[in-house]
Amino acid sequence: MSDQKKTSLLERQMTRRQFLKISGKSIAGLTVSATMLSLFGCTQQQVDQGEVVTWAMPQGLLVVNAAKCTGCQRCEINCTLTNDGVCSTYISRVKIGRNLHIHGKDGLLNRNFVYFPDTCRQCKDPACGNACPQKAIFADDRGVKKVDPDKCIGCGACVEACPWHMPTVNPETSKSSKCIACGACVAGCPSGALQIVPWDDVTAAAQEIV
Amino acid sequence: MAVYGWMGKLLRVNLTTGAITTEDTTQYQKYIGGMGFGYRIIYNEVPLETHPYDEASKFVMAVGPLTGSGVPCSGRMNISFLSSWSKGNSILDAHMGGHIGPQLKYAGYDAVVVEGKSPTPVYLKIEDDKVSIEDASHIWGKGTFESNRIMTLECGREFDTAAIGQAGEHLVNYSTLNTSFGNSGGAGIGAIMGSKNLKGVAIHGTGSVKVADVAKLQELNNYMLRDLIGANNNHNVPAVPQSWAEYSSVSGKNRWSGAPGRAWEKAPGGPIDTGEQPCGDINKIAYRCLKGVFDYGEVAAHYIVKQGGCSSCPIRCYTEYEMDPLAEYDLPVNTSNTCMPVLYGTDFYPDGVKDFKYEGDARVVINGASSHAQDDLGLWCNYGNLYREFKWLCTSGRIHEFIPDEEYNSIPWQWQKDGDPRFVVEIMRRIAYKEGELAVLGEGTLAVMEKWNLGKEWMDMVSASNQNVTYNGYPKHHGAEDSAQIGQLFNLMYNRDCMIHHLTNVAQSGAPYEVSKSVMEGFFGKGCFDAQKKYTPINANKIKVAKWAFNGKQIHDSATVCNWMWPMTQSPSKERNYAGDLDLESKFMSAVTGIDYTRESLEFDAERISNMLRVMTAISFNIHFGSKNLREDHDAIPAWIFDKEPDFQPFEEGTIKMDRDDMEKAKDMFYEAMGWDVKTGIPTRATLEKFELGDMADDLAKRGILPR
Repeated sequence: MSDQKKTSLLERQMTRRQFLKISGKSIAGLTVSATMLSLFGCTQQQVDQGEVVTWAMPQGLLVVNAAKCTGCQRCEINCTLTNDGVCSTYISRVKIGRNLHIHGKDGLLNRNFVYFPDTCRQCKDPACGNACPQKAIFADDRGVKKVDPDKCIGCGACVEACPWHMPTVNPETSKSSKCIACGACVAGCPSGALQIVPWDDVTAAAQEIV
Repeated sequence: MAVYGWMGKLLRVNLTTGAITTEDTTQYQKYIGGMGFGYRIIYNEVPLETHPYDEASKFVMAVGPLTGSGVPCSGRMNISFLSSWSKGNSILDAHMGGHIGPQLKYAGYDAVVVEGKSPTPVYLKIEDDKVSIEDASHIWGKGTFESNRIMTLECGREFDTAAIGQAGEHLVNYSTLNTSFGNSGGAGIGAIMGSKNLKGVAIHGTGSVKVADVAKLQELNNYMLRDLIGANNNHNVPAVPQSWAEYSSVSGKNRWSGAPGRAWEKAPGGPIDTGEQPCGDINKIAYRCLKGVFDYGEVAAHYIVKQGGCSSCPIRCYTEYEMDPLAEYDLPVNTSNTCMPVLYGTDFYPDGVKDFKYEGDARVVINGASSHAQDDLGLWCNYGNLYREFKWLCTSGRIHEFIPDEEYNSIPWQWQKDGDPRFVVEIMRRIAYKEGELAVLGEGTLAVMEKWNLGKEWMDMVSASNQNVTYNGYPKHHGAEDSAQIGQLFNLMYNRDCMIHHLTNVAQSGAPYEVSKSVMEGFFGKGCFDAQKKYTPINANKIKVAKWAFNGKQIHDSATVCNWMWPMTQSPSKERNYAGDLDLESKFMSAVTGIDYTRESLEFDAERISNMLRVMTAISFNIHFGSKNLREDHDAIPAWIFDKEPDFQPFEEGTIKMDRDDMEKAKDMFYEAMGWDVKTGIPTRATLEKFELGDMADDLAKRGILPR
């Protein structure tokens, strides 16, 4: 590997670690550079109001912008067609259907049109995996937590353990369906409410701050 | 019984006995789904003599093989029942968008047949194979929004719900079934459910739609979203110029109204600019339709939170508003809708309305009030006849003939003069609660004519208040203004407004006429597509188009996909010379069901449904009026369509005034193309047997109305 490539990889990993640290807290409170805002397709005001959440994925930074979500469920459709070979909302690894009518603490019932997709965080220390009695949830070589269907017995411990109840036991297969960071939801999002910004781009933008 | 696309079973709920059963639906697959299932089931099970509100009456909520399959714009549900308000009390449908249709599929059903009558108010809860009839006495009397909220809280956040409002409970003929986003099915379904004491439905499914060829489906999805889909109504060029686009709308206006500088201004976290949305960029499609700006101009953007719409559809045609000026009147500020309820609220204020906060925002805010009220009350408008007739009442000088003084004096007319949004809310409330003589407006145009003794001339007169396209009680939607004889023909076919968008979507797309003409002639041949207000006498290719559109609507309401978006006739792609793909429905049907459909075979199945519609209509007209002739008794065209614009002759440039002889010739040609008797417009035995509808031919024969 050339020195240049090594430096680039190192920087990419550093950036990823920085974002891993803030993952789960939304990026509210951070001052984000104009370049980074442009990359994320959002504004500082959206960041300040907590509309934008980021999660570190192997292939880049997942940016979820609640203000842009229009509730069409194409993320769920693309998730299940890609990963299950069927179309469903319940077993989708990204979840918008359950947020359409009641969202969050107030039971808003869309009166303010607050709805957006919940996504798997790919936690570094995954509650789902820790709770699994079969040790069926493992990290692959990219760090993605996946379900080994041969080990999974569909007990639902992962569903209960996940603070956001992101995994789902598929009633048709009795296996846990859990996000594998495939990106199908992002690729088909018609409003860009979901996007994955490649680490190289994030790194380049992050360097500008320095 | 492994099936792709279809779920393979229907749910039957008897509200009298409480019996809940399921049945195999394989036998119905040749009727596609949705409307086709509904018609076959109603025909088999409900004698057409039955009064729509009788306990023996039924309704069928049905979806199709494409509903919830991941095909774009496949979020719709069709509901079939007997009409309470249009001539002949025959078969018709309510159609609704939102998310509830796909949920029904995921719960495992192609259809729900509801029969009987509950002794007390109830709602139907469907959670996969756990189906129960729940007490609704605590929500009876409430509006649809509150009812949906309560059902969702009781059942759980993953349920989709739909409820009737006070209009349905009071058996107002003009009544709807509504979701919590304002998606509604109309045509009187609210009162049909109300007559059964059924307040609503709550559905959650944990299952899935099985797809025969997933890779093909995904390939077709990408093809449609990259190369074919435009904006709302599939308008295929942007309203205003965009840097990537060769054309923009000739008039500067269409439903591809998103553009740089136009924003969701009330979005949390600040305005979101809708920007450019190039053909091929899947991640920007949702910004193409900025419906509020199309409806009211750029002032609407001040109140837009975001765009919403139905499950699976990347075109977001429901503008979701926060209209803060309404708070001063103690009215809800959040409303979302896309069509009639949010367009014509100002018809209730014939002397005009006043701006609230921004120059030109009066129409926006008044419609916010009217849209929310109408959806909350579950009141239907019969594609605007409700508004037209109220406006006529106010402006004709005849209101005192019909409304007693005491009632007249109780109406808050000062609110009307002041442009107070509470006026429209109060008028709608009275109609929905069936209060006073005014409530006749909610019983239907035919009831208004009869009760107020307006005579046949009501439907013949040339007047803005008269858009009635037949003498059967419903207006045009969309007719001759977009497609001359073609539109006029398919408007005659149903027992409600036809809602066929095949032609209006092309005519109003904004693309230059020559471009659209070239696309249409590529599909249907020379002379098939006139320029607006410059139309030519009827010809064989126009009949081809009329038949394609009429049968095509049945495909859409049965499959189910949205006829506001489908078919993909035009495309935004310059590389494709702006031509769409009329085979796409059949390609999707093949990929999803695993059955080899072609455009021809799918249109054949749809034509079977067209014939069921025609047979059931003929039987109803025979039962109620002794009619033996649909051409004369159902398909008659009111005089205004031929007599308007007296300074013009038909076929002159500048008019869509129709010609009597030419329209009669058009009917001849259309009936012939459909295999119907030209004299009576009723299907022949040969035609019915071709579509395996021999039982219906026998029925017509028994009643003495089968053409010889």
